[in-house]
Amino acid sequence: MAETEESTGPPATLIDPIEMSKLDTKFREEIHSMPNGEELSACFACSTCTAACPIANIWKYKPHQLIRMILLGMRDEVLSSDEIWLCLTCFQCQERCPQKVRVTDIFFDCKNLAAEEGKVPPNIVGLGKELLEKGQLYTVTADWEREDMGLEPDVPGLSVDGLRNILKETRTSKLVDGDK
Amino acid sequence: MSNPVLIIGAGVAGMTAAVELADSGIKTILVERQETVGGNALDLYKAFPTDDCFYCFEGNRWRPGIRKCFYRSALTDQPNISLRMNSEIGDISGAPDQFSVKLKVGPGYVNPKKCTMCGLCLEKSEAFRLLSPQCQPQAVVYDPTKADDGAKQAEEECPTKAINLGAQPTEETVQVSDIVIATGYHEMQPVNVDEYNYGKHPNIITQLELAKIIDPIGESGGVPVRPSDGKPAKRVMMVQCVGSRDENYYPYCSKICCIFALKHANILTQERDDVKVSVVYMDIRTYDRYERYYRESRNTGVEFVRGRVSLIEPRKDDTLDITVYDSLLDKYLKFSVDLFVLSSALEPSEGTDKLIETLGIKSTSGFVGMVDPASENEVVVGDHIYACGAALGPAEVPESVTQARAVVSKILQSRK
Repeated sequence: MAETEESTGPPATLIDPIEMSKLDTKFREEIHSMPNGEELSACFACSTCTAACPIANIWKYKPHQLIRMILLGMRDEVLSSDEIWLCLTCFQCQERCPQKVRVTDIFFDCKNLAAEEGKVPPNIVGLGKELLEKGQLYTVTADWEREDMGLEPDVPGLSVDGLRNILKETRTSKLVDGDK
Repeated sequence: MSNPVLIIGAGVAGMTAAVELADSGIKTILVERQETVGGNALDLYKAFPTDDCFYCFEGNRWRPGIRKCFYRSALTDQPNISLRMNSEIGDISGAPDQFSVKLKVGPGYVNPKKCTMCGLCLEKSEAFRLLSPQCQPQAVVYDPTKADDGAKQAEEECPTKAINLGAQPTEETVQVSDIVIATGYHEMQPVNVDEYNYGKHPNIITQLELAKIIDPIGESGGVPVRPSDGKPAKRVMMVQCVGSRDENYYPYCSKICCIFALKHANILTQERDDVKVSVVYMDIRTYDRYERYYRESRNTGVEFVRGRVSLIEPRKDDTLDITVYDSLLDKYLKFSVDLFVLSSALEPSEGTDKLIETLGIKSTSGFVGMVDPASENEVVVGDHIYACGAALGPAEVPESVTQARAVVSKILQSRK
């Protein structure tokens, strides 16, 4: 502790606290001003979102903690967290929230902010690349299931070119190119 | 002609009971220990649930349910009320319906019926004070420990001859039919709760002390200032449940501290310039309709930290570094604040234990206990003995008023 000289109080302990003054107090307003953030401050940390989440058990930061971190201004931690990308977007948290906080949508906002700063996990970039190149994430292949059902090997009338062109002109391509 | 009713304590509950009984034609003796009526409510600038100002009648004129200012002015003008300021209760003897009560009446240095509050004595001597422009009785008060020559001069020159510095305390015995206990609450001074350093640093205060600081008629004109140097406080932290819900102090929930903490937080964030407020809590208990205070404060940006304070480090510039354990994040957070406000437990007011013993009535955690906990008559605490307001336990203003009216109703029924 650098300020120990100044302190006239009891001795410092082993606690290494988060310095509130070093957090980004604007972050709360930033999220609040986004289309889904209106009810952000209504959160009273009941943890209903975490109770509803089917996968938060394996998360380092649970949904209610992410919302807390947004409210406290822990911008870097939230935007570089894996959790916002791991979210299944099942919307259970948002449906159950007693204060109408749009939890899942707020995580989308966080993802958008993170993407703008280039903080996208490689596997997500990989997906983007796949989309750009193939125009679809899951390519339909001629397999035994289609054959058993008497379907032709290719999906009739499937055209991905249009989508591929659109994606090239949008942020998806910037994201993927930015990574290169 | 029946004996009068004795009401102990002229706070919200006692005043309501006195005025309503008097209006029903019953003689009452209203005894108050302090120099002005109003009790704890007098120090509050706004009161929930309506956020009405506690001073002005104007704002409430159209609302017949709220008559607190009317009550105060009635106290000296209603002929059925005999107001004894500066007075305490001594021995109580006799059977129910014919109690004999000794009153220790303090010296009446200033006659409130003569005093016009012209201010002449205030200029002559510091011994005279006007507690508040709305104080009742409407008169200055005199502090004999500050007696000086100016006071003597004021006595002589007082245009209405309202001052009598030679006044002596007196004792009298009154015969009363019923006793109403409206002794209210006292805010615990948390000097023994070591972790909060209360009393060791000027900028660590209680909620009622904060109420006085942010009161617009107070010294700073309502600006939240640090007691250490009078500079505006920009960062305020409050901590809930100090001594309440604590088996070492008071096991009960003090019930209204969450609401008045949030009320103060809302006043600070909405009506004062650029003040940041954080609230450290275990549970926020804004029961009933008060949930709106909680939602409002969250909307206005009050920071809520669920957890407890681990460390307070005073700095040389009179700020405080406060480390808080956030149990939701499982992290320690370090704040730097100007004012640290403790929502301290509300305890029975001084002398309640003695009163309970003298009257032989029940006690609930030190407050006056009702005769039959299963009954709906929570105001009946003995034979011809009633209690209302915070004497029964921490209570908000509307609840105190409701209980006072219940007492009035009970007494009227017993006399029909």
